[in-house]
Parts: sequence; C-alpha cells; structure tokens
Amino acid sequence: MSEPLNKTYVWDPVVRILHWALVIAFATSWGLGKFGPNIMTLHFYSGYILAGIVVLRLLWGLFGTKTARFATFVKGPGKVMAYARTLPSPTPSRSYGHNPVGAIFVVGVLLVLTMQVMSGLLADPEDYINVGPLAQYVSSDVARKALSLHEPLSTLLLLMVLGHVAAIFWYKKRKGENLVKPMITGYVDLPKDKIPH
Amino acid sequence: MRKLIISTVIAATAATGAFAQSPSDVAKARRAYFTLVGFEMSTLGAMAQGKIDYDADVASQAAKDLAALTGYTMSDLFAPGTSNDDLPGETRAKADIWADMPGVQDKGMAFYQAVAELNGVAGNGLEALQPAVGKLGGTCKACHDDYRAKDF
Repeated sequence: MSEPLNKTYVWDPVVRILHWALVIAFATSWGLGKFGPNIMTLHFYSGYILAGIVVLRLLWGLFGTKTARFATFVKGPGKVMAYARTLPSPTPSRSYGHNPVGAIFVVGVLLVLTMQVMSGLLADPEDYINVGPLAQYVSSDVARKALSLHEPLSTLLLLMVLGHVAAIFWYKKRKGENLVKPMITGYVDLPKDKIPH
Repeated sequence: MRKLIISTVIAATAATGAFAQSPSDVAKARRAYFTLVGFEMSTLGAMAQGKIDYDADVASQAAKDLAALTGYTMSDLFAPGTSNDDLPGETRAKADIWADMPGVQDKGMAFYQAVAELNGVAGNGLEALQPAVGKLGGTCKACHDDYRAKDF
C-alpha cells in the first residue's frame, strides 16, 4: 500500500463516450421495449443508435488505442483463473485497462448485444407496424425465431448489466477501488510496475 | 332397413362434422381467421409505411373487410381445449386467453374500435390513414404481447 501511485491515462475519449452512450441507449431501448408505446418507433431509433455504438466499439476494439483493443485485454483461461482467484481478496487490483475477468464480460456483452440487435432487425411481431426492417428478407420461420429470442435476450442483458454494476460495487466496497471515475476522467492511479511501456 | 342405417351413418357423420369439430380444426380455423385479418392489415401497413402507393379505394376496401371480420363471432374460434398447451405446434394461442377472458375481450374491443376509426378515415388520404393504421397495429401488438406465444 505504501507504493507510490501514478496518475495514469487508461481510457481514451472514444471508449468513455461509447461506454456512457451505450448506458443511455441500453436503458432507453430496454425501457421503451418493456414499457413504451405500442407504436415502437422510438424503440427502433434507440435500437439503431445502440447498434451504431456496438459497431463502433467493435471497430475500436480492432483499430483503437491500446487499452481499447481486444488483442490487449482478452486473455487465456490460465490468466483468467489466476485473476479470478484474486477477486475475493480485499486488496486493490490496480489493473491497467480491462482485467482478464472483466474482459470476458466486455466480449460477452458485445456478443449478446449484437445478437439482440440482429434479432430485433429480423423480428416480425405480425402487427404490421413494428416489423424489423430486415424481416422482409428472411422466411417467416426465421422472423418468428428472431422475435422469440428478442425478449429472453433482453432479460439476459439486464442480468449482465446488473452483474457488471454489482462488480463495480464489489471493487468499491471490498477492494477500495473506484472504477467509475476512470471511465469518466480517463485516469486511474497505478503503481509503476503495473504500467506497460 | 339398410337405407335407414346408411342415412343414420351419414347423418351422424355430418353431425360430427358440424357440431363436434376437433380442437385441431378449431385452431386451424382460428389461424385462418387471423390470416385474413393479416392479409388486409398487410395492405394497410404497407401503404402507411410508403411501401406501396396510397390508394383511397384500396385502403377503404381493406378497412371495410376488416370491419366485416370484426363482425365474426369469435367464441367458437376460441373453444376451450385449443391452447398451445393442448395443441403444441398447431397454435400459438396461450392458455392465458382462457384464464383471462375479460382481458382478452378488452383487447378485442380496442381492436374493434380501432377498425371502426380506421373505416372513418381510410379514404381521406395517406396523412389520415397513417395514425389510424398505427393505432390498429398497436392493438394487434397489445394482444400478441400478452396472449400469443412468440413461437410454436
């Protein structure tokens, strides 16, 4: 704990803006889907925005800055297990960017969001007003399958978000690490040996 | 005597056909009914979304046909024992329909009223048609959400 900490830049503006834009777009899409008007135009627009965010994040994961790239933060099972064993301990993780367990969530949530966007685009609820824009290009069997996936996937996504938020709380309460602030400012305090050169 | 037996058999067969249709037949007829609703609605939806050109006569005719369909007696189409629990793979009608008939009737009333409103405006131009079709589609969705399974 006596180690000196350096203010380190980990999250570039693209990562931060896309993160918080995704929070807003997800909450809006989810809320409008569940509680919104029967004419779901706003849900559709919100979904298109969310789709754009996911596409940009995937591209940024390939061509973006160091901490944003999948190649940097996606680790094998050995590293994941090793990091998972440190999760219960009350010491701060001091991760530079995504930790190996968090990486699974990042990839997982982008994957499920992609499936959710696809199922929404293909879904046909047969009300002739809320038909996914791509439903006309697939068979009615596929459009029905997409419709039947769209709601369960929304529940799965909600559970994933709750798990994500629970992890943030765990780091704050148990490990004394504020993970929200870096996602706003871009900076996190790290000891020298945790900062790659 | 033989004639009597034959005519009795014919009468009994006819009676079976007419008065004790199988649950599968009911589900089939019910889906056929909603296929007709969808057929008319498909035209109106495409027009409202600009996928086909607005035509006052075609829109009015589709609205009129929907109104005719709302005059159909639904109780025999929703005979008990014909839910997707009873007939898996044949229907998506949830057992909730029979557990909550008042709720279903509310949704049906909303559909009926939306069709009536649509009939008042269908011939009055695209601007008038669009919100009416939207409202009608909304009543489709409201019932599908609660009472129809997403898949077979």
